[in-house]
Amino acid sequence: MDKIFPQNPRQPENLDKLINTLEERVKELNILYEIEELLHEPDLSLDEIFERIVNLLPTAFQFPEICKVKITYQEKEFTTKDFKDSPWALTADLYFQERAIGHIRVCYIEEKPMSEVGPFLRDEKQTLNTLAQRLSYHIMYLKLKQIFDKWETTKHSFSGQRPGEWKIILELLKRTDPDVYFRISRKMLNHLVWEGIAEANDLLQRFNPYVVMEQEENLLGEANAPIKKKESTDINQLAKEIFNLAAKYLTNGEILERIQRWMQEDKTSFLVRTTSDSNSSLTDINEALRRYYQINPEGMQLSPSTLIGVRASLIRRFFTDQLEFINIAKNYVRVRDFYKLLQRMIFPIGSHGKLGGKSAGVFLAYHILQTIEDSQELLSDVKIPKTWHITSDAMIYFMHYNNLDEMLEQKYKPINEVRKEYPHVVQLFKNSYFPPEIVKGIAMALDDFGERPLIVRSSSLLEDRLGSAFSGKYKSLFIANQGSKAERLEALCDAIAEVYASTIGPDPIEYRAERGLLDFHEEMGIMIQEVVGQKVGHYFMPAFAGVAFSNNEFRWSPRIRREDGLIRLVPGLGTRAVDRLSDDYPVMIAPGQPNLRTNVDVRDIIRYSPQKIDVINLETHQFETLEIRELLREFGHEYPMLKEIVSVFDGSLLRPMGFNTDFKKDDLVVTFNGLLEQTKFVKQVNIILKELQNRLATPVDIEFAHDGNHFFLLQCRPQSYSKFTAPAKFPEAVPEENIIFTANKYITNGIVTDIQYIVYVDPERYSQIESAEELKTIGRVIGELNKALPKKRFILMGPGRWGSRGDIKLGVSVTYSDINNTAALIEIARRKGNYVPDLSFGTHFFQDLVESGIRYLPLYPDEQEVIFNEEFLAQSPNALNEILPAFGFLSEVIRLIDVPKIRSNLYFQLLMNGDLNKAMGILMPHGSVQPDEDAGHASFGISYIDHRQWRMQMAEKIASELDAERFGVKGIYILGSTKTGTAKAGSDIDLLVHFAGTPEQRKELELWFEGWSLCLDEMNYLRTGFKTGGLLDVRFITDEELANEEVLAEKYNITGREGIERLLLKNDINTTE
Amino acid sequence: MSEKSFNAFEMAQKQFDKVADMIGLDQATRDLLRNPLREYHFSIPVRMDDGTVKIFRGFRVQHNDARGPAKGGIRFHPQETIDTVRALSMWMTWKTAVADLPLGGGKGGVVCDPHNLSAREQEQISRGWIRQIYKNVGPFADVPAPDVMTNAQHMLWILDEYETLTGGHFPGFITGKPVGMGGSLGRTEATGYGVIFTVREAMKHLNMDIAQTTASVQGFGNVAQYAIDKFTQLGGKVICVSSWDQNDQTSYAFRKKDGVNLDELKGITDRFGGIDKEKATALGYEVLPGDAWIEQEVDVLLPCALENQITAENVDKIKSSVKLIAEGANGPTTPEADAVLEKRGIYVIPDFLANAGGVTCSYFEQVQSNMNFYWTKEEVLKRLDDKMTSAFWSVANLADNRKLYMRDAAYIIAIERVAQACKDRGWV
Repeated sequence: MDKIFPQNPRQPENLDKLINTLEERVKELNILYEIEELLHEPDLSLDEIFERIVNLLPTAFQFPEICKVKITYQEKEFTTKDFKDSPWALTADLYFQERAIGHIRVCYIEEKPMSEVGPFLRDEKQTLNTLAQRLSYHIMYLKLKQIFDKWETTKHSFSGQRPGEWKIILELLKRTDPDVYFRISRKMLNHLVWEGIAEANDLLQRFNPYVVMEQEENLLGEANAPIKKKESTDINQLAKEIFNLAAKYLTNGEILERIQRWMQEDKTSFLVRTTSDSNSSLTDINEALRRYYQINPEGMQLSPSTLIGVRASLIRRFFTDQLEFINIAKNYVRVRDFYKLLQRMIFPIGSHGKLGGKSAGVFLAYHILQTIEDSQELLSDVKIPKTWHITSDAMIYFMHYNNLDEMLEQKYKPINEVRKEYPHVVQLFKNSYFPPEIVKGIAMALDDFGERPLIVRSSSLLEDRLGSAFSGKYKSLFIANQGSKAERLEALCDAIAEVYASTIGPDPIEYRAERGLLDFHEEMGIMIQEVVGQKVGHYFMPAFAGVAFSNNEFRWSPRIRREDGLIRLVPGLGTRAVDRLSDDYPVMIAPGQPNLRTNVDVRDIIRYSPQKIDVINLETHQFETLEIRELLREFGHEYPMLKEIVSVFDGSLLRPMGFNTDFKKDDLVVTFNGLLEQTKFVKQVNIILKELQNRLATPVDIEFAHDGNHFFLLQCRPQSYSKFTAPAKFPEAVPEENIIFTANKYITNGIVTDIQYIVYVDPERYSQIESAEELKTIGRVIGELNKALPKKRFILMGPGRWGSRGDIKLGVSVTYSDINNTAALIEIARRKGNYVPDLSFGTHFFQDLVESGIRYLPLYPDEQEVIFNEEFLAQSPNALNEILPAFGFLSEVIRLIDVPKIRSNLYFQLLMNGDLNKAMGILMPHGSVQPDEDAGHASFGISYIDHRQWRMQMAEKIASELDAERFGVKGIYILGSTKTGTAKAGSDIDLLVHFAGTPEQRKELELWFEGWSLCLDEMNYLRTGFKTGGLLDVRFITDEELANEEVLAEKYNITGREGIERLLLKNDINTTE
Repeated sequence: MSEKSFNAFEMAQKQFDKVADMIGLDQATRDLLRNPLREYHFSIPVRMDDGTVKIFRGFRVQHNDARGPAKGGIRFHPQETIDTVRALSMWMTWKTAVADLPLGGGKGGVVCDPHNLSAREQEQISRGWIRQIYKNVGPFADVPAPDVMTNAQHMLWILDEYETLTGGHFPGFITGKPVGMGGSLGRTEATGYGVIFTVREAMKHLNMDIAQTTASVQGFGNVAQYAIDKFTQLGGKVICVSSWDQNDQTSYAFRKKDGVNLDELKGITDRFGGIDKEKATALGYEVLPGDAWIEQEVDVLLPCALENQITAENVDKIKSSVKLIAEGANGPTTPEADAVLEKRGIYVIPDFLANAGGVTCSYFEQVQSNMNFYWTKEEVLKRLDDKMTSAFWSVANLADNRKLYMRDAAYIIAIERVAQACKDRGWV
């Protein structure tokens, strides 16, 4: 997260006017809200509602005293007192079933100067239209409700067995809503055809869909030609026939149930149509959702499958096409959630934009957490901050609007040019104007937020594609959001422009260029999020914040397992937890082992405690970094949850903060002891990490903040490797002499490449040193080498616990400054007699190692199945004498190996993969190992079950399509990972074909399978992104082999008959019928 | 494992043998003092957080208690060996003896790595340790204190368990307790002030007027700060201070020729003794490389930071103006450098005399706890002054009379006092 503030707010001239217009809008909106409330009063009749509206409505207009209203509805009239018609009027029709059934007329009874629409404002006309539409929906709702009520009573009055029951409903429907009647008839016909009823097929021939369409259009009253009666009768006749046929084949109950379901579906079909149509804009979707909830205030049910379909479409429209994401999200996100989301979205008219990866991640994570059964109330205070979204296409719109289109080509310029021009580009963006509807949206967002500090975050579409590695390349800006509305609007627009500009900044462009992604059309959504926190003095910040990871890549004790996770926790804004710090330390906790702390000694706890805090200064409107002690001295009594955050150091002990604590005098140390010991926080983070990892089928990382009352989830994404570490991939064949060591215990992820020097302290020789002086000298020589060797181009290897205090024999005596330039620290534990000593895991300077990115690896050379090339380490020529001649006498103990010099231009490469619990130190040419940030493809995964299910379905499909007689096949069996349920995204489908045909048949059959194999591979690629060149692994087996279990076991590695499963062939299926 | 490797206990024995030769100690006394009087080895079963039981190995070594209750820390260390504990207990015997405290020497520990243990597990180990040994220790037998990877919290757990087992209150059983829980006032000042008390006496001995002297100090931690405080109070002038810079991972020296102002420097210092170099420049300090402290034209050098700071490489940088070095830190001088200092006739107050203020204050804590009556800070510091002064003169007089190097004299006086006590008791 960049912590940069937008610079130089600039004053726009048209702002006053904008504010005036907004005030006028507020008046109108108020009226709309009041009317909305009226409509929700359960006991009001339609007449009463109209009575009230005619008296309310005039206040929405500029000149209420001369404004009069009349509503005409079904021969009835409702008017404001003293209504008289005049030429200065607006009219809006009321509709039912797309037919006018009345109107609202607003008149000024005196002449007023001409304005936008006669004497009226354009917005006033708009308000009236909106109102008319809203009333139309309400009328529709009341009518539908009548039908349903009638139908319910009808249902009750029958026993459910009477044959004519559904006929009554149909009759009712035919009269009240012929469209639905026809559509249901059509659906019944389809159903009958599916059921395989031959007569239905005949009917289908006569059912020309165009006729119905035409019919519909005519009914809608939009066609110019008069309705052709003949066709209508035709269709009525047809419908009758259909239901006669249905009555013949289906039970009454069945017909009733279907009619009931289709009627419900029909009422909401517009939603399905709108959401699934890729042409519908966000405005259309917004409208459809609004309508859906207006006509269904009680939430009439969509059928479960339709519902999931609608969810999937909405997810695709709002977030991403990525199938994995949709596949998971559709189970957790409800349609209503999108409806809510839309209330806080800003988008251009006709927008087809999306919200981007960051928005998607947190939205999904939050809704997953909502579904978790939470008997311990661990998640009851989890929230997400109030967020407004700007869709991705708003950025392009902004650029068009300001004629900045050519900026899109910026990415093709040489990188140094991009870098040079970037500051000017930022200024250019910041001095550009936002299109008015976007400004309007932003202004609304500001009203919603109030004077609350905000963070403007980018939410890039590329993040979907690259996994999380790409995140952090774009800017996030804090703004204090204080002052007059005009100032705040200005500052917010400025920040958004700056974030937009960061898409064409040099760093992301370089990154994309390296990965061949320049041509990807980058669009970026914006999240405007309120900053979680409270006021402390004139500062604003959360009580604490941090990041948490499912996988712990920095274990400071062998008792901590990788899956115990990691939390990096800081007081104040989370900016200090996200990035590695050079001058400070976050508190680290493994949520699975919260009691094993990184530091034990009181002095170390203090030494490695956070000293600084990031805050927003509400007076200067700046993002600032303060000394915590100074902040607390002044405002300690205001700081939320301070008791949980700090301990008091009394010279010997760290004690919990007491009631009597003196902020001016006492030594307060940030330990988070109270938070860990007295609150549910760790359990909370643990369950969040675990549940999200399970349901998203990938390790995750989250950002969070706590304002003293609630835990806010700020971000969730597949666990990123970029910031800390990626799992290494191992090269296939490394000549044995080039392997220096392998390891298989306590491995974390990490890659260290192209190391020139290995500094090796020989464990055997070290243990033979007799004098303490000499042992200490070893430490000093390491310190000298640390200064003499090129930074991060060497590694340190040596026995025991480095930096250990108390007993020098246990390990090389160094402090952090003696090793701070190394790329990796490797501690070696040699077996001594019958025990292997413990290693330190770098604990003595653990947090320094983490913050400076020094990798740590424990090595156990005497374990089984590991390689330790002692010859190379102990026998290679020693360069110590050349670099530090003064210490040449120690060359027996300290060996400095110049790798490329003695192994013809090979370099040392350290590859560590925590997933496989495997590490290797090998020699390879320079540059042959790429630290691959995208490794592991961090994206939401498909769970095993899905992979298996799909493969099983496909296998069944193949079998059912196979003409056994034509190919001479007796049976097909499934085996392998699909059978055992362990199939992964790239797994084969293993088939065993019991074959008894001729060689010609066999050839033909192989071709047939190959076609399938390639098709399935393509399908799998689209599903998962894995391409293998053919997904089927087909083997042929003879009668004798199949009968012989031994052969099965030996040749096909199948234990017994349970290992395989016979699939139904096409011919089998036919015969069973 | 090789026989030849470094062994702390053997080294301690060698050092003892050397002194024993010098004073011509009889064989029986040698045999008695070469090895600990008593050693206890025991197992401590602990129920871990995950429900399993782990057995930890515990020790207590009482090297000698002829002069009074054994005194020494408890270490939690992952590869603790009995030889290390033996060596450390022997050094404790000499340390209490040189300060002329009525105490013996001991040391104890548990083989464990607190980095791999939760606080609850550490508490169980602490309580388990005392349950195994409580009959053989006590306020009048053997008094533990915090040491490597143990702190006041562990001591309070041990004390609480001990008092539960024995059914009484015995705050004198443990030292290193927080003030208010049986701790002594003046503890923070004790070591730094103690260093300067010996410096003051040494100057009397060398006929120097402290008000006319200047000093250069390495380090700006607790010891250094109080040493500067006392030195300035007595009229001396500290003109150079070095401190570690965490951000730059190196140290800097801060010089002000007309004398540093302690309060001013403390105002720009972080919790760990790191002085802000920008702010120091603004206050008129010269910022020099860290090792500049040693090459200052001063009368006194006070190494108060780390061990091995005065080495063969830099010892020749010491200006001829330097007449006195007081070792506030532990082992700041390497043997090679020490030989040079001796040859140049620089008066060295060796570490275990100069920084004996710490152990003396522990003794006061024990005394106050046993009385259950606590002194004011002034009283503690006054008595500290008396103790340090008399300890210094014993060593200085011996060195003078027998023409010994101060470091050797300190050892001799310690060993002789212990040997004498053993003889007085009729042990040998």
